[in-house]
Amino acid sequence: MKYNLTHQTTYKYFVPVNSYHSLVCLKPQNLPSQICHSFSLQISPKPAEIVERKDFFGNSIHYFSIQSAHQELIVKTESKVETFAKIINADASLSCCESREKVQNNNSLKIELLQYLLPSPFTHWDEEIQAFAQNCFPDERPLYESVKALCHKIFTEFSFVSNFTNINTPIKTVLKERKGVCQDFSHLAIACLRSLGFAARYVSGYLETLPPPGKKKLQGSDASHAWISVYIPNIGWCEFDPTNDLVPQERHIITAYGRDYSDVPPLKGIIFSSGKHTLSVSVDVIPLL
Amino acid sequence: MITDISPNLLQSYQKEINSYDEILGADGQVKPHWNALFATLEKVGMKELHFRNIEIINKLRENGVTYNVYENSGSLNRPWQLDPIPFLIEQQEWNNIAKGLKQRALVLDLMLRDIYGPQRLIKENILPPELVYGNTGFFRVCNDVKLPSENQLTLYAADIARGPDGRMWVLDNRTQAPSGMGYALENRSVMSKILPELTNGMFVSRLSPFFHNFQQTVSSLATKAKDHPNIVYLTPGSNNETYFEHAYLAAYLGYTLVQGDDLLVRDGFVWLKSIDGLEKVDVIVRRIDDEWCDPLELRQDSRLGIPGLLHAIRLGNVSVINPPGSSVLENNGLLPFMNAACRFFLGETLIMPSVATWWCGQAKELNHVLANLPKLIIKNTNRKQKLKSIYGKNLSNQELADLRKDILRNPSEFVAQEEVSLSTTPAFINDKIEPRFAAIRAYLVSDGKNYHVMEGGLTRSSAVRDRFEISHQYGGFSKDTWIVSDKLVTVQQKIVVPQTASVIHHASLPSRSAENLFWVGRYSERTMATTKFLKITINALQENVNFGGSVKSEHIEVLLKSLTHLTLTYPGFIDEENPSILKKPYEEIHDLVLNSKRSGTVAYSAESFLRGVIAVSDKWSHDTWRIINLIENSLKKIKNSGSEINNPNVIQKVLDKLHTRLFTFYGIISESMPRDNGFYLLEAGKLIERILSRISIIRSTFSFKNDLNVENDLIEAVLINHHLLVHYRSLYKSHLSLEAMLDMVLLEENLPYSLSYQIDALAECLAKLPKTSQAERLTKAEKAVLEASTKIKLTDISTLSTYDTETLYREKLDGLLASIFDLISSVTVSLTDLYFTHTVIQHSLMENPENSDTNEI
Repeated sequence: MKYNLTHQTTYKYFVPVNSYHSLVCLKPQNLPSQICHSFSLQISPKPAEIVERKDFFGNSIHYFSIQSAHQELIVKTESKVETFAKIINADASLSCCESREKVQNNNSLKIELLQYLLPSPFTHWDEEIQAFAQNCFPDERPLYESVKALCHKIFTEFSFVSNFTNINTPIKTVLKERKGVCQDFSHLAIACLRSLGFAARYVSGYLETLPPPGKKKLQGSDASHAWISVYIPNIGWCEFDPTNDLVPQERHIITAYGRDYSDVPPLKGIIFSSGKHTLSVSVDVIPLL
Repeated sequence: MITDISPNLLQSYQKEINSYDEILGADGQVKPHWNALFATLEKVGMKELHFRNIEIINKLRENGVTYNVYENSGSLNRPWQLDPIPFLIEQQEWNNIAKGLKQRALVLDLMLRDIYGPQRLIKENILPPELVYGNTGFFRVCNDVKLPSENQLTLYAADIARGPDGRMWVLDNRTQAPSGMGYALENRSVMSKILPELTNGMFVSRLSPFFHNFQQTVSSLATKAKDHPNIVYLTPGSNNETYFEHAYLAAYLGYTLVQGDDLLVRDGFVWLKSIDGLEKVDVIVRRIDDEWCDPLELRQDSRLGIPGLLHAIRLGNVSVINPPGSSVLENNGLLPFMNAACRFFLGETLIMPSVATWWCGQAKELNHVLANLPKLIIKNTNRKQKLKSIYGKNLSNQELADLRKDILRNPSEFVAQEEVSLSTTPAFINDKIEPRFAAIRAYLVSDGKNYHVMEGGLTRSSAVRDRFEISHQYGGFSKDTWIVSDKLVTVQQKIVVPQTASVIHHASLPSRSAENLFWVGRYSERTMATTKFLKITINALQENVNFGGSVKSEHIEVLLKSLTHLTLTYPGFIDEENPSILKKPYEEIHDLVLNSKRSGTVAYSAESFLRGVIAVSDKWSHDTWRIINLIENSLKKIKNSGSEINNPNVIQKVLDKLHTRLFTFYGIISESMPRDNGFYLLEAGKLIERILSRISIIRSTFSFKNDLNVENDLIEAVLINHHLLVHYRSLYKSHLSLEAMLDMVLLEENLPYSLSYQIDALAECLAKLPKTSQAERLTKAEKAVLEASTKIKLTDISTLSTYDTETLYREKLDGLLASIFDLISSVTVSLTDLYFTHTVIQHSLMENPENSDTNEI
């Protein structure tokens, strides 16, 4: 599939802001399953410079700063992305028990995966979280199937509720209240997997949404999305979307991988101001026919 | 006949020793230099040593050497403690220690570069990956943050102590922003002043070459401005435990002391917001830990760092010492792998041993630890977690079982260390010389490729016998550390004569320091003005009680009300619902003196003054500190006066003392402070406050006409308030005339406390301050002062005392003073807009209590 992707974030400040430093993590990646044909980043007011670098995880990060007084900041990215269907040989998956052993006994694999096995700023766990996931991962069941089962469990037992959680809501609260948004479900799934000794990482990106049958798609109705990537020995990194209970294919567009949200926030910045601000985000993932 | 029956000092000390001690060599004999030191101590005598010790305490206090927090309540800092008996190490031995320390530094530097680089240690199984990826000091964003030199670990400190084999062992590492160098320097300076004779019979190595090396290294890291690099010393601020040292070292090294919000990143460079505008910064010597350095990429809630700093470092536009990310080395879990890393990198074994340490993240080590728990000391792997060391031997069976469970739940979070017995060293405790455990913090600096060791260090020893609690936070005290030899060691040192350019280069004044100096001026004068007028009022009250009865008390009511206007402590004496307060004024007066929580009181203003003083600690000379300490003592006395204060004489006395001391402060400032921007701002603040306070009193005493008798008393009060009564009497004898008084107080140009004198002085100060915009010849502030000066000089004095016969209101007088008051008040706003605006943010965020970086030593 080919997509035109637009992501516009608008900050409005009640008092003029004199200084703003920001990091943008919004550039779609080039991967075997995805090509980013073009990418542009427009910022208003125009910053003196925009500097791109690759972070520790290989994601593209853009730094910019604005040093003039402004009351509105617009960060807009436009990209053309082509995605391809992924062929996954799920049958090759080792069982949960074998998978765990393989990682423990293969030193170079363990070094590569370790940071996705350890707790990270947003993903800590305890017995309760482990217990929640445990029955999805019987020793003999293939790991791939087990992760799907976990996603299914989260999908069926949790409801998608916007504005109930924010990015700082602990996983435990999400687990208790059984509601949240894609970040929450991804963090929960990652915590579950790591608690059982499986490597899992956080994927930040977009999902093309489909309008209700017979309706026209509304502008700006898409949103940034998050899902997970799990290391399945013998196959490699495989992606799963616990929010929608599906295996990401062409409709998922990947911008960044990290241990959790804290490694790859789409936009973060430091303002020098005491005033309040409002934020609006509009995302369009328009398929090109 | 006098007989000396007491055994000599050395013999009695030897009786006290119950483990191995620093004074004894491997052969059990007293080492020659200790022998010499004890001989000198004997000569000095214990009685004299007692007095010298007191002198040391006084000296340290005079110099303002403190450790820990200047609390909002204004309580005293904890003074730094220095033992008069130094720690001696013989030069030959020290040379070996230095060799071991240099090797350590090199291995740690190589580890640092490897961890944020190829990670060969992990790939080749030298270091378990958990100790990097599970290390809270490992910051992925620092992966590409490098210094433009081979060594990345520029500054390194190691805590060392003598182990059971008689060699020095490494106990701990400091790799981010090591503290204590400044205290070591100050200790030496105090010792050499107060106990110079202790060096008799030996030569002590100097500390200054180390600092010279440090300066050279720092300058060499300025890549863009080699000739006159702009170097700043970044402190978390005056709430940090070691703030004294930050100010002290910044002043000693000649760097500008700054806080995070004095700096900003623009166009990829770091800039200092100074009152001359933005100045490019080349090198930052930091005293904040890694995670606080850049809120954009590290701890988002940090107000101590500079957003965008990492970006500027990556571009190579600024160097930060030590580079952020070096906290990865401050991890107890690395200790067991140091030897393997040393062999891996250098092909040699470690010269200096460290305490046997087991990291529980490995199965075999974990089993060993669990099996030997009662014999071991348990610590957290990551230093930041602040678990106090647990001594297995002190735990009950239940506690041991709990600890075992904790460890098993998360083994990689724990390390265990063997409990080793360390050596003791002579310490002067309660006028006796007793053995105490001690450790030395040794310092190393890289010149880019090689490490240089400080010939000395900061020794800390335990206050308590047989316990190893050396941290100053737990009451430990410090010692000067002497590397001694029989002959004078000539240090081969290359002295680089600084180029003229760097000498001419002016000292930066950060906007925040500028603002603090301005407010130091305002609050000192506010304290003065309040103190002065309180004294006048209390005098009048006393005279009235003692000599006048209640007949002529009207002028007292005016004075009391003026006091409320002056201090803006409404309703105070103007409380219409409580008229009796005027009859029983002392309760309110006491409150105006000692209530430090109420804005406008003497205690409040004096505390604000002291806070301002501390915030710019690097600006004061030793002599100035002595006075500041006296002022602090006065404040302490006022606040602790309790019921004594009910005696008006006592209040008078403490107020007198404070007043005199503040005058001394002015004197020393005026005689010794360099005439730079900082001085003129302090002066401007003082003058503005003086003008405003004097106007306030004249307005509240004379805006309405009173009876002649009352007015005569008030004229006298105002004259005293302007230090002019004596002068007035010499001209007019006892004839009191409002017109003559106003003429003198407002217009006489040769009297320092007259308004026109002060306004002209203020104009002179403002003219010396930098102009940021070329367009206008006079700044807004200067225009306001010129207008005020003109207004007052054009006044026709004879019209000022006229009043409305019905309302008794003196419109001309009040109108003139009100307009001058407004003009002078506007100067503060103009100066703030012009010079201090950068600091606005700091104020709104200062309340955040979570923003504390700790730096305990």
